[in-house]
Amino acid sequence: MAAADWTTAPSAGLGVAFLRVPAIGIAMVLVLCPILLVVYQSFLSDPFFTPSAQFTLDAYRFVLEDPDFWRALWTTLALAAGMTVIAVCIGTVLAFIMVRTDVPGRSFLEILLLVPIFTSAVVLAFGYVVAAGPVGIVSTWVKDVIGVVPWDIYSLPSLIVIAGLTHVPHVYLYTAAGLRGIGSDVEEAARIAGASPFRVALAVSLPMVRPSIAFASVLVFFLGFELFGLPLVLGDPAQRLVLTTYLYKLTNILGTPSYQLMAAVVVVIILIAAPLVALQRRLLRDAGRYVSMRGKGVRIEPLRLGASRWLALGVILLWALVTVVVPIGGILLRSFVVSWGEGVHLLDVLTLQHYRELLDYPNIVRGILNTLGVGVIGGAAAVACYTALALAVHRWQSKWVRVVDYLALAPRAMPGIVAGLAILWIFLFVKPLTPLRQTMFSVWLAYAVVWLAYGMRLVQGTLLQIGPELEEAARTTGASDLRVKRDVTLPLVRNGMLAAWLLIFLIFVREYSTGVYLLGPGTEVIGSLLVSLWGTGAVDLVSALSVVNVALIGLGLAVALRLGIRLHA
Amino acid sequence: MPDLVVENVAVRLGGVEILKSVSFRAVPGEIIALLGPSGSGKTTLLRCVAGLERPYQGRITIGDRTLLDAGRGIELAAEQRGLGLVFQSYALWPHRTVFENVAYALRLRRGSAAEIERRVTEALARLGLSHLAQRFPHQLSGGQQQRVAIARAFVYEPPVILLDEPLSNLDAKLRDEARAWLRTLIRDLGLAALCVTHDQVEAMALADRVLLLNGGVVEQEGQPKALYTDPRTLFAAEFMGINNRLDGMIESLAEGHARLRIEDVTLEGEPRHDGLATGGPAVGVIRVEHVRLADAPGPNRVAMQLETAMYLGERYELALRRGNWHVRAYAAEPPLHGPELLIEFPREALWVF
Repeated sequence: MAAADWTTAPSAGLGVAFLRVPAIGIAMVLVLCPILLVVYQSFLSDPFFTPSAQFTLDAYRFVLEDPDFWRALWTTLALAAGMTVIAVCIGTVLAFIMVRTDVPGRSFLEILLLVPIFTSAVVLAFGYVVAAGPVGIVSTWVKDVIGVVPWDIYSLPSLIVIAGLTHVPHVYLYTAAGLRGIGSDVEEAARIAGASPFRVALAVSLPMVRPSIAFASVLVFFLGFELFGLPLVLGDPAQRLVLTTYLYKLTNILGTPSYQLMAAVVVVIILIAAPLVALQRRLLRDAGRYVSMRGKGVRIEPLRLGASRWLALGVILLWALVTVVVPIGGILLRSFVVSWGEGVHLLDVLTLQHYRELLDYPNIVRGILNTLGVGVIGGAAAVACYTALALAVHRWQSKWVRVVDYLALAPRAMPGIVAGLAILWIFLFVKPLTPLRQTMFSVWLAYAVVWLAYGMRLVQGTLLQIGPELEEAARTTGASDLRVKRDVTLPLVRNGMLAAWLLIFLIFVREYSTGVYLLGPGTEVIGSLLVSLWGTGAVDLVSALSVVNVALIGLGLAVALRLGIRLHA
Repeated sequence: MPDLVVENVAVRLGGVEILKSVSFRAVPGEIIALLGPSGSGKTTLLRCVAGLERPYQGRITIGDRTLLDAGRGIELAAEQRGLGLVFQSYALWPHRTVFENVAYALRLRRGSAAEIERRVTEALARLGLSHLAQRFPHQLSGGQQQRVAIARAFVYEPPVILLDEPLSNLDAKLRDEARAWLRTLIRDLGLAALCVTHDQVEAMALADRVLLLNGGVVEQEGQPKALYTDPRTLFAAEFMGINNRLDGMIESLAEGHARLRIEDVTLEGEPRHDGLATGGPAVGVIRVEHVRLADAPGPNRVAMQLETAMYLGERYELALRRGNWHVRAYAAEPPLHGPELLIEFPREALWVF
């Protein structure tokens, strides 16, 4: 080989276009088709696949003239606004206590604070019903002591409080991240000037993380619009609907599936959600800018609370008691007893019968296996897809990067139940896909699309941790773009991918609303089974299956903690 | 080996002109320093040559190979240019051993196993890294990492090696040593080298020629000594060396003479550019080492108050003041007498811009 041959590497085999074109193309089809199909359907008079379907605005007319729709809209607004206020107030205080003070047992509390995020909302809702419902175990105790049950779990205020409490962790996570970016010197300065720790929090620390709090508020408000499990379970007895449950009820309103009405509602939901998603994007950027201004290596010295740190601990434990212990403990207990009520002695009614019963239903057994499958195998496949898409735009200077950005964000504007419905329609509509409708592939696809934004953030966050010069170094030594990704980028993010897989596993196992419309023989997952079983009133089965769900997630969380994986993106 | 020729390269980033039509030529065996303050475009220029930045204008060639010709739409990707680049952070791949870091480029070029083994061993031996071949980057000291990065960049015999602040991550003592061996190594390899630095001392020590960049243009180009002793612009004069700056106004102007008035005194200096006009504002620049203590009044000698004298080890630095102007000077011994000293600004050392 002549010396000159060493100078330049032989030209690469496959160009990076072979990754980019299919990755972006497929993502585009998968994201846009469901949305476009829903919009198209909303302007039709009949289901889109019937020949008699005609263009009309009737669907919108019907929905907008339906008083139930307006009631649902107002309830949703009240719920979203109310829960935001509660979650932000408690979440910021908890974040301050956790990050900036010497409250005891922080590492344990940190895990406790994340539990509601990884617990299925329907499970929490069931937990509240069995624990604090009219004949719940907590209600019964309270009634024994003071003679009455001072709350009604099915009232709107209860729903708002529960939704608020279960969304405290979201606010906590973002506020805490912001607080960690501020050096303690500003707080110390305030204390030396004579401010009490409480004043310091209100006057110095929290105002400095205002952008993070603003982002978290919009996020929680947005999640309020998406809420499905809690209002489905807690709003049902009082016939109180929110937009998502209104949509769910529309399925059987006219006897035949009223596709166009559902589509019209979905469009309304998307129209409300889309600006909120855009606003979140902007606020997140602002928050990031705010924090990164502080540079690296800030020293954090916890604020000494003295005796009042036990009070701070009490505040967190009280929140945990109401938000974690009551519902999860309730459902756990309920799954091991035959029944409970006034005068029933718990030890007399202990049983494993409900778990044995689970095994009698082949669809439930299938559901558990399917859930594991979609979590483990589907999770890996989803991370692989997200990675392919993220790599396709990684370090690419092109306007397509923005396109992919927005593409990944678009499914966020569709609540899971809506995306599930749209994907179902795709499977009905695209004939080659129809045989796959009865398989877990359809559920996996819906999950993967719904969680696209989250997954992309996980993967891209990991990719961005690689210094660009490591990749540039490979380029200048002669590696093509694709080679660099294979030889440098991917090997360096292996741990990050593992973490992403685990987090996606947790999310997929927790998911319930996306699978609701896809539920059928062969496509059962625990989440959608829980929703449908609750409808039949099978409380015993629901409790046992909920515990199975929580146990699977607990297992995943344990592995994640063992591996030292950060539990939030 | 052929010359590297850069012609009229211009780069725009987000609407800001980072580099405005820069040209230069590097011949084999020559070390060129790209010197300038941060934001002067020196790193951008290096990255243009490497193919990591996209100029909208200009040509870059090595002999008869065109790397870039914006006018004709030719732009070779970084991996097709066959240049060596040493990063400021070294950018060693943490998942590969030292041997594999260096071997990677050869593997890309489909060298035989024996050939790769031979070349990598040779390169590592040359830099005194033989015993570290199987280590991972995080097991090396900063100086060792830097050597690996350099081995990785020249193992495939690129015609030009690019170095981005190669010494800035080393501690001060190591840096002085590294400067010497790096210069020797590049000389021995017979490469053309382009070295970005913000440190004028480093640039002068390392390079055969210095390209002083400011605001995206070449402010002055030349041998280190010429740049230091014969700056063409105020920027060049002030950027090199340690200086006193005297703001004043031109009292009179003659061939090779300029009388600069600063407050109540007039100093004679050397006019350094054509734009000077009698009565107009001007700036005098004099290197600190050229300011002298004098023992008797005379031309260009001014009485100044000694504010403080600082001991620097090999000499003293004096802080002097007269009215609102401040001057620094060096002295071998602290002045013994009085707070008022006679200070001389030698005429030929006082540049007037």
